[in-house]
Formats: sequence, C-alpha cells, structure tokens
Amino acid sequence: MAEIGRLNRARGARPWQAAVTLVRVAIVLGALVAWQLLAISGWLYGEVVPALPVIGAALVKLLCSGDFYWNLWVTVYEVAVGLAIGGFSGLVVGLVLGANPFIARAYEPYLYYLGPTPKIIFFPVMIMWFGVGGGSKIAMGALSCFFPIALNVAAGMRQIDQVLIRVGRSFRANPWQMATKIYLPAMRHPVINGLRLGLGVALIGTLLAETKLSKYGVGSLVMDAYARFDMPRMYAILIVLFALAIGANALVSHFGRLDDIKQK
Amino acid sequence: MAQGLAQGLAQGSANASTSNRVTPLAQAKAAVLTVEDLEMRFATGDGGIAALDKVSFGVMPGELLALIGPSGCGKSTLFNIIGGLLSGYRGRVAVDGETVSGPHASIGMVFQEESTFPWRTVIDNVAFPLEVAGMSRRERIAHARRFVSLVGLDGFENSFPSELSGGMRQRVSMARTLASEPKILLMDEPFAALDEQTRLLLGDKVLQIQQQLNQTMLLITHNITEAVQLADRILVMTYRPGRVKRVVDINLPRPRTSEIVSSEAFGRYVAQIWGDLREEASRGLIDDEARALHARGRGE
Amino acid sequence: MSAVTLTARRVLPPLVGFGSFVLILVAVEILIRAGAINRFIVPPPSEVAASFGRVIAEENIWRRFAFTAWECFAAGVLLTVFGVLIGALLHRVRVLRLACETWVAAMASAPLVLLYPLLLVMFGRNALTIIMMAFISGLAPVILKTIEGLSSTRRVLLNVGRSFKLTPSQQFWKILFPSALPAIFVGIRLGLIFALINVVGVEFLINFGGLGQLINELAERYDLPGTYAAICFVVLVSVVFFATTERAERWLRSAG
Repeated sequence: MAEIGRLNRARGARPWQAAVTLVRVAIVLGALVAWQLLAISGWLYGEVVPALPVIGAALVKLLCSGDFYWNLWVTVYEVAVGLAIGGFSGLVVGLVLGANPFIARAYEPYLYYLGPTPKIIFFPVMIMWFGVGGGSKIAMGALSCFFPIALNVAAGMRQIDQVLIRVGRSFRANPWQMATKIYLPAMRHPVINGLRLGLGVALIGTLLAETKLSKYGVGSLVMDAYARFDMPRMYAILIVLFALAIGANALVSHFGRLDDIKQK
Repeated sequence: MAQGLAQGLAQGSANASTSNRVTPLAQAKAAVLTVEDLEMRFATGDGGIAALDKVSFGVMPGELLALIGPSGCGKSTLFNIIGGLLSGYRGRVAVDGETVSGPHASIGMVFQEESTFPWRTVIDNVAFPLEVAGMSRRERIAHARRFVSLVGLDGFENSFPSELSGGMRQRVSMARTLASEPKILLMDEPFAALDEQTRLLLGDKVLQIQQQLNQTMLLITHNITEAVQLADRILVMTYRPGRVKRVVDINLPRPRTSEIVSSEAFGRYVAQIWGDLREEASRGLIDDEARALHARGRGE
Repeated sequence: MSAVTLTARRVLPPLVGFGSFVLILVAVEILIRAGAINRFIVPPPSEVAASFGRVIAEENIWRRFAFTAWECFAAGVLLTVFGVLIGALLHRVRVLRLACETWVAAMASAPLVLLYPLLLVMFGRNALTIIMMAFISGLAPVILKTIEGLSSTRRVLLNVGRSFKLTPSQQFWKILFPSALPAIFVGIRLGLIFALINVVGVEFLINFGGLGQLINELAERYDLPGTYAAICFVVLVSVVFFATTERAERWLRSAG
C-alpha cells in the first residue's frame, strides 16, 4: 500500500516542479518590477530607492574595484581567524562538557543562558583589550561563535551510540585514536551544524564590529557609503555580502549532507 | 549411532553429577580462557544485587562453549567482565594461564547491538582493529579482505553499513573482531535481533568459520536451539545470582550444519536443557511479578 | 545511596560552577590591585559592583529598560502577526510553500542585521529603525514554525473535521490552528529572542534608545566600571528573558 502511495507521489512531483519554478520567477520579477516603479515614481525620496540600472552599474563598479576585494579579504581573514579561535576553543570545551557529566552540570548552564545575548555590546571591552585594529574584530567573531559550537559539540557527544565506544575500548584504542576514529566521526553531524551556526554568527559579529569602528573591511565600506549617502553603492555592497553569506551557509550544509548521500 | 548418542547423554549427566566447576589447576594449563570464582555485586538504592556468584569454567582450544541462561542471570555482566569492560569484580580471568584485566589482545568481543561504524565502509570497518594496532593501509586492507570473504561478504567491501541488512551488519562486526585474530572470540547474543531463519543460516556461517580457523569461541545466548546447534559444550546458568548450574557435552557430529536441528538427538538435547532452564526462567518470571507488585504498592 | 549523597549530587555541580566564577573574580581583583593587570583596561570587580548602584540611580536605568522593552514588544507584535499570517498563507497555498519555504529558511540564516545602515537611511536614527530591524530579524522563525505546526497536524484530526462537514474556515480555526499552537509559540519565542538581541544590538550601534545606548554612551565617556556594569545588567536582563520564556514555553507544552 505504501509503495503505491509513493509511486503516485513520484509521478505527481513533476508538474509541481514546473509550477514552483514559475512561482519563484514570478515573485522575483514582480519584486524587481515593483522596485523599479517605486524608483521611477519617486514616491519614497528617490535616493533611498535607486533605479535598478543604477544599482546594477554600482554593482559592476564595485566588483571591478580592487579596493573592494582588499576590504573583502580583510573581512574574510578576520572571520576565518575568529572562527578558528572560537571554533577550536568551542570544540575543546564542548568535548570536556560532553565527556564529563559533573563539569557539564556545573558549567554548561552558563553557556546555554549566555549564548542568546547580544555579543556586540562586548565590543567596547574588546577594543580596550585588543585595540582598535583587527584584533577586536577577530575577538568579536571568536566570542560570537564560541557558544553555538561548544553547545553543539557537547550535545553531539552525548548522543553518540554507546556501543561504538565499547567497540573502541574492546580494541584497546588509545585516547587519541578514540577521539579521532570514534568520537569525532560519530559526532560529525552536530559538529558540522554547530560550525554552520558558528560561521553565521562569527560573520555577523565581525561585520557589526566593522560597522561600528573600523578602517577596513566590508562593514566599514557599508558605513562609508552611508556617510556619503551613496545609496547605489550601499545596495551593491549589501547584495554581494548577502550572496556570499548565503552561499557559504549553503556550502557548509551541503558538505554536511555529503556523507548522507554517499551512504544512501 | 544410537550407542554414541547414549554415551553422549550419559557423559552429559555424568558431568552434571560430578562437577559444576572445572578444576582450575587441571584445566588452567590446557584451557585458552579460564574464569575462576567470579563474583559481581551491583550497588543499588536498596542493598545491592548479586549478579554473579562464584562462576568458574574453562574454554578449551578450538571449542565453541555456549553459555545459556534466563534473562537476569548475569550473562551480559559476565561478557563485559571477561572482555575487560567491567571492573569491580572478585575472582580471576586468565588467558593461557595468565591473569588479565581490562581489554586484552587475545580476547575479541562481538556485541549484541548494532556496532558497525556507520561512517566507514565495510572494508574500513573490518580493518579498524588493524588500524588501531598501527598496520599500514595496504597491509590492513589486504588482511581485512580475507575476513570479509570469510564471512561471505565478497563484493560488499565498499558498501556502507546503512546499505546492508541487519544480518549482514552483524557479519561485518564479526569479521572486524576476527580480523584482530583473537585467541578467543566472545559473542554476546550476536543474533538476538535477527529472525529465526537468518539466525539458522548465520549459525551455519559461524560453524564454518570456526572450522576453518579452528577458532575458540564463547557464545552467550538465551536461545536453546542456537546453543545446541553451535556448541561443543553448554553451560546452563541459574537465575540471579548467576551460577553454573550444569555442564552439558554436546556430542553431535562435526562438521555440523543447520540441518541437525531436525535430528532426534538434537531434540533430546534441547529438551534436556529446557528442563534445567525452565526452572530458572520461572524463578525470573516470579521475581519480575513480585517487583511489579512491589512497585505498585509503593505507588509508582 | 543515601538521601544526603543524592542531594549533594544535585547541589554540588552548580555550587562548584558558581564558586569557581567567584574565585576567578577574586583572583582578578587581587591581580589588579597587585598591578599585574592594568586597571585602565580591566576595572576591579569591586569597582564594577560599586558602580551598579550609581548607574542605576544616575542613568535612568528603569526608564531605559522600559524603552527597550517597548521596542521589543512592538517588534514582537509585528513579527507575531505577520509571521503567523504569512506562515498560514504559505501553508494554505501549496505552490507558494514549495517555492518560498527554502527562501525563508535561507533568510533565517542570513546576517539580516547588517541591513541596519539601510534602515537608518530609510527611517532615521530613531526607534522605528530599531523596531523594523528587530521585526525583520525575528520574522523567519515564526513563519517556519507556523508552517511546521500547521502541516504536522495529525491526519486523523483533519478527518474528524471532514466527517463533521466543517467549512475550510472552521477547519482552520477549530482544528489546524489549535493543533499548531505549540509550534507557533516556539516560533514566537525564537522570534522574540532574536528581536531582543537585535534591539539591544542596534541601540548600541546607532547610539539611540534604552539599554544598548547606555552601554555605548558609558563606553564613549570612558567610564570603565560603568560600562562593565551596564553590560552585566543587559546580560542579566537577556538571561532572565530567555529563562522566563523557556519556562513559559514548557508550561504551555505541558498544559496543551
């Protein structure tokens, strides 16, 4: 019975696919048309809603300017280092919390409740400790991503199938082998999910810090455009930024799903 | 043939009347595995539970010894103690006369639950103990291939466990443990999760492997048919606290296949063992009911 | 296992955790007084504690708290209304759902708060910008959870409705919506949490508003102990908010 139901649904899937694409195209086109009309009519003060070609031109200009790529590199570098620091410490702390129930009960609540707080408010402290340069931005990124990674790793450790650990012990694997050949592979899904979340918040933390106080980086470019009231440029930067952020997120999730596809 | 059977049965009951223990000194030199006076208590809220009470036996080279008992007789505790995963017991476990504690290279464990690594292919699963021991990749893959073939999974080397059936996965677990070439293979109800027919066929496989490798095996099970089908000797355990109630020699011909289950001798062995086991199993049932009543009385 | 050991087991870990933090603060205090840590970078915990009272008294902390709270509330109302409506719409029109759900999910993981300079231009440096930013950030989880809740209504319940010949509208209000409420509440809670984080964050960034703005102001005045105290206060508010909503959600789940 279930087989027949499934067959029917498979056959029915194809007309849906076409309709879905149609709807998506319609929505995107509709939005673009509405935008353009809004821009031309000048109903909101014209500068806030520039015409599409103007934005397009700014986008091209942006992508052709070496200056943009320099700033992009600065941001990428800051995020990467912040993610590395926060990620590594989050991994270590998560492993300890997951392995030891006593320590977990003593300290994990702090991580759990401090996680959903606005980290940007720590920025003044970071500036005092690490200066006004890249150090404070990296610190913001690291602080932001530490929490989701630590919590996900701890949770990941606790959901490992216990029999796999017994297999490792029965073959007398040493602690390093246990960690690399059994614990980490068994936790790969929560860990990758934690990394994905960590990447997202590290990006936000670093960029916000850049908008607040920075000479370089994509965040500072946005504030530059704001200060000069160069709206087309601001839109262009934001478009590229969001495209990159969503792309990076999709990449990490895809990477996480890869071995599921392999195993199916 | 009838004579041989009669002799075998007589031998079995003779064993039963003379000893419930194998004398340590005499057997220690010959036995691969010796277990002496094993006692284990678990601490609980109200006093504690004696899981095992002075269990002693030996496993001879090349034999398949089956341990059968009702639920609650401490079979899994025994498995974990011998395998070195449980401590805090009294008594001694020895391999070739030398005391062991903790997981030992000469003792291989096959667990009851699903224990294949889902993220590794079959060949990588089987090569795992060799990898831990530090063997080079080329060597261990070649080595592992032999054991994949031994359990009849040729062609599945690069499959993932999720692509295999339950019975195939248990074969992978077995191949993995065999690849570490232990002196004795410990198996804790390896086929409990499988259906009867698969179990009989896998039993054939186990017999075949034992034959080929002359592998000493200790099989823990609650399934009488399985025990009689596979074993050279059977130890019947009592309900908690677990003790060896009886030792039964199984004088069925070797090499054996699952067709043996239809023979008369087979049926007689099963009946004999059930006779002993039934008493213990009933005790277990009564105990369960008493506990449930007690829990209800406490308002839980 | 005696009763004493059981209580000890329950109480000991939190005590150890809290105790170790107190020890760290004491250590920091000693190190600063000894001169090992520069007191112009890390103010002594005793000074920070002392400035709590000052900050509360001088900086109108309750007025600021109320301001931040009302911004959150406004954003919360917006994201609840629009989130549930859009979620219900997407659930109702299958094609729309198939087309848009992944987009909404992508929105949920995008750094939306980076749009705040854009909103600054559109609405100016005022509460509206803050509220709109919080609204946009918290919208996606509400939509997604609403869809999830509605679509996970048990088939048998829908069949009961059909067997009583309910109209589509009745079917929605009497069966679908009540069944989806637990998930919707989870979504609203997530949305509110995002909203709070964004409200305080943007207040800090644009130097306008209540608590977030306070931190910025104290930092710009180089009032170190005050800044630390204000940060602690905001963290406390955030933790209390998170814990309260969690308690409420659990209570609702057990009741419903």
